[in-house]
Amino acid sequence: MKTKYNKGFDFYILLSVLSLVIIGIFFIYSSCVASDGSVVSNEYIKQIIWVILGVAVLVSVIVYDYKKLQDNSVYLYVFFIFLLVVTLFAGNKVNGARSWLGIMDFGIQPSEFAKIATILMLSAFFANNKKDIRSLRTFTAGSLITLIPMMLILVQPDMGTSLVYIPIFLITAFIAGSSVRHIMYLLLSGSLLIILVVVPVWKDFASENTGKIISAVTENNLYKFIVLAFIAAAIISLIGYYAAKKGYYYWIMYSSSIISIAMIGGFLVRNVLKTYQIMRLIVFLDPNIDPKGAGWNIIQSITAVGSGGVWGKGFLNGTQSHYRYLPQQTTDFIFSIIAEELGLIGSLFIFLLFLVIIIRGIMIIGSAKDSFGSNVAAGVVAMLFFHFMVNIGMAMGIMPITGIPLLFLSYGGSSLWTAMIGTGLLINVYLRRYRY
Amino acid sequence: MPDREFSLKESLKARMIILSAVIFLVFLVYSFHLYSLQVTQGGVYRKRARDVARREQVIPTQRGEIYDRNYDSPLVMNVDSFAVEIIPAFLPEKIDTLVSDLAGVLNLEISDIKDRIPSRYKNYYKAVEIKDNVGFDDILYLAEHKENFPGVSWRSKPIRSYTETGSISHVLGYVGDITREEIQVLYNKGYDSNSELGKTGLEKQYDIYLRGKEGIRYNTVDVRGRQIGDIGYVEKPPVLGKNLVLTIDRHIQELSEKALGERMGSVVVMRPGTGEILALVSYPSFDPNIFYTDQSSSYYKKLSLDSEYPFLNRTIQSAYAPASVFKIIMSAAIMEEEVFPEWETVDCRGKMWLGDRLFHCHKKTGHGKLNLQEALAESCDIYFWTVGREYLGIDKIVEYTRRFGFGEKTGIDLPGEARGLVPTPSWKESTFHTPWVGGDTFNMSIGQGSLQVTPLQVANAVSMVVNNGINYVPHLLKQVRDPVTGEVIDEVKPQVLHNSLIRKDTLSKLQHNMREVITKGTARVIMTTDAVDIAGKTGTGEVGYKDRWTSWFAAYGPYGSENIDEQVVVVVMVEAENEWEWWAGKATNVIFQGIFADQNYEEAVEDLNLWYLRNNKHPVSERTE
Repeated sequence: MKTKYNKGFDFYILLSVLSLVIIGIFFIYSSCVASDGSVVSNEYIKQIIWVILGVAVLVSVIVYDYKKLQDNSVYLYVFFIFLLVVTLFAGNKVNGARSWLGIMDFGIQPSEFAKIATILMLSAFFANNKKDIRSLRTFTAGSLITLIPMMLILVQPDMGTSLVYIPIFLITAFIAGSSVRHIMYLLLSGSLLIILVVVPVWKDFASENTGKIISAVTENNLYKFIVLAFIAAAIISLIGYYAAKKGYYYWIMYSSSIISIAMIGGFLVRNVLKTYQIMRLIVFLDPNIDPKGAGWNIIQSITAVGSGGVWGKGFLNGTQSHYRYLPQQTTDFIFSIIAEELGLIGSLFIFLLFLVIIIRGIMIIGSAKDSFGSNVAAGVVAMLFFHFMVNIGMAMGIMPITGIPLLFLSYGGSSLWTAMIGTGLLINVYLRRYRY
Repeated sequence: MPDREFSLKESLKARMIILSAVIFLVFLVYSFHLYSLQVTQGGVYRKRARDVARREQVIPTQRGEIYDRNYDSPLVMNVDSFAVEIIPAFLPEKIDTLVSDLAGVLNLEISDIKDRIPSRYKNYYKAVEIKDNVGFDDILYLAEHKENFPGVSWRSKPIRSYTETGSISHVLGYVGDITREEIQVLYNKGYDSNSELGKTGLEKQYDIYLRGKEGIRYNTVDVRGRQIGDIGYVEKPPVLGKNLVLTIDRHIQELSEKALGERMGSVVVMRPGTGEILALVSYPSFDPNIFYTDQSSSYYKKLSLDSEYPFLNRTIQSAYAPASVFKIIMSAAIMEEEVFPEWETVDCRGKMWLGDRLFHCHKKTGHGKLNLQEALAESCDIYFWTVGREYLGIDKIVEYTRRFGFGEKTGIDLPGEARGLVPTPSWKESTFHTPWVGGDTFNMSIGQGSLQVTPLQVANAVSMVVNNGINYVPHLLKQVRDPVTGEVIDEVKPQVLHNSLIRKDTLSKLQHNMREVITKGTARVIMTTDAVDIAGKTGTGEVGYKDRWTSWFAAYGPYGSENIDEQVVVVVMVEAENEWEWWAGKATNVIFQGIFADQNYEEAVEDLNLWYLRNNKHPVSERTE
């Protein structure tokens, strides 16, 4: 029993995670140092406390057998949905979003922890419906489980955090064995919807002459006509499919309904969101459109990253960060300060640490002793990877500014603990991979 | 339902591989992008990071000083003055008391200060200038009450100080802030919207020497504009402006100024052998120091509206009929052209008819028979009318007028020189559409009518008589010197302006005739100095109004000297309204006495025993005092 424990412990993940949180503390300290050398903030001390407590949380998650969570996950899920509802009414506003629950400085972000609860609930649901996993019914039920917390977070409004639930659902469903057709249906209609929302706004700013295809999206009359045409095609092919059972009817319906849904959804979103809100999301495509406003953060962050060079400017020597050109250094743009001070070498080392965690995570998916375990591992991998991709992409100017933190590195207790719990779950699943 | 996902359905491994591939791909793309940002374009971003945190700061320079030819004490220097500034971010929470206190100290309106403080001043770390030319006493008060004025600071901002403020102001000019029109013209010459530049006089003419170049320092600042570190990196050290040494002798300038007294007019004293100007006086003048005070705009307005035009430099910017002084040129033409023998006489009976018009000589009873020499000495109009019209002709008169340099600029190194006017038959035809008549030639022969000359042109024409028919470009600048070492950087060499090619014997006879004017002719009562032998010519011009004349005296000395370097030409012109102002000859007398006996004005007046000049003040202004 004891030997199995030693063999089974995933030190790679643990070492990588510890390295990341320690690097995180150093660079939170770095951003607390003002240009004259004085320390102007105690965020790094708070982060040390969060890390120490976070490690304790990690250990306690490892000790607790994850198998027991399969049955309890529904209580956890309901509890956090409840907390999210409470947050909507009694939460504190931070950066315009009612996302905090607590008193004074001490509080939590239920939207962070709800990710773990959703991963567990989703994993348990897919594991419990293993036999029926490929059915549309299971897929739809799973998506509803995800959609509830997602919507509650979206109305806070915290779009960045709510977006994380999409890859969690898609990857967990993919690993659990859902039909690729269903997953692709969501993925394609979602992508198309985003394109349809963004293009008209983008067209207004980039005033180059636009082709006929784009004017089809921007002109209202034409748009309605096209939507109606695709809906008609979808209905006719649906009838045709049930009458003739021919494969091509299915695919016509599949694609034309994707287009119809995306177009209707795009139309709705465009009317709900204001132009400047969409602009803020897509300004990364060309930050110079609004260099003093929304583009400022992106320009300063890219400048910080780019000016780091191969070896960086050295710890505490970053100019973009210490002269305060870089905004939100401890949270959203922690990677920019690392890239500035440690250069390409340091940044690639950070990449490597995340890659180790994620690759080990994927291996744990395969080595889990049951479906619940691999589903949980898939959800955690999805969460870690998505945070990594969006946050670092934002720092390099190739992703929209959504304000989601870089897990393990960014300042903040809730996101750190969520990441720690996720890591704990991965190690937990790996540790208990043998059936005995 | 077609089913093409058997492999995926059964194999978790296949799905893991796809997931890994997607994740790997993202890591790969991100690594490449990072490489491109940090290595490929790293230089661009490093430059951008440096630029965003870099502020250019100007290191002030100092304008050059101006000395007279003695190079001992400056005519213009820079004195300490202060500019009071506010750094808005350091202002207290409630600024109203501070602003009203500060307004009281600086003698400003409260709104003057508030208008200069930016609305979002809490984060504004750049100094805003509130007032310049603040005196030392006010700064002392601010320093003593520093705790009441948080955010208020001051810096040294030297201003021009003119130690001599009389007639020399016309020569020196003054300095002011650049205007929008001036920037458009001068932008490529290194001026910008903060530049100060010379507005008139030598300050304008030699701005390029005087101004110096501001230095540039780069400071590193944070996002709110606060400076990081103590001193920045000096990109370009400031270059001090060069000092100028003038040909002006401030003793002669003062002597001439006092000799002219409070009479509207001008004096030119120059060296005929080089073109150097020793004194250039124009009355009335102004005090440029007032342009650097609070009264600047009201003073400027007052001067601009003054009917006596104190901004006008009457030596070069104002042209008059030369009157009888022109008979010098007529004499030269008559002798050089040999149209009328100089010993032959003309009988002056005080008047002569031209067609149906009667012309009077200035002596109504007539001079009797006169030859050329006597005609010049007595300034007989009848002689010059007769010879000018009947023997010389208008074309020759015009030719000689031009040969003596009239009708064109002398090229003196001062801005705004007037050209004057030499009338010709074709000029009259095209301007007034009336033909040139005999009366016009009459007028021209005695320097009246449309002929217009500046006092400097007259002085330069006399120089030609003295200097073998050659004259030089008149100039005020002698040397350009390094402000620190005093080393001579540049020196102005005499430059020939005209060679009239008039024969030497003509000129020496003319010199003799001009000497006769002093010894026997119209000026013998006035020219009492025995310090030097003078030769010259008087002139009284009609302006066209009753009781308005121009009183001229053009002279040189010492007469008969072969050494051109000791020769001095003096031209005095007074715009006279009454006898007190009919003064040119008397002033010339004093100036020659002062120069050649090495005396100042008071000593010269004493020596000449001119009791009436001891208090050379305007009788009217004396009464009002």
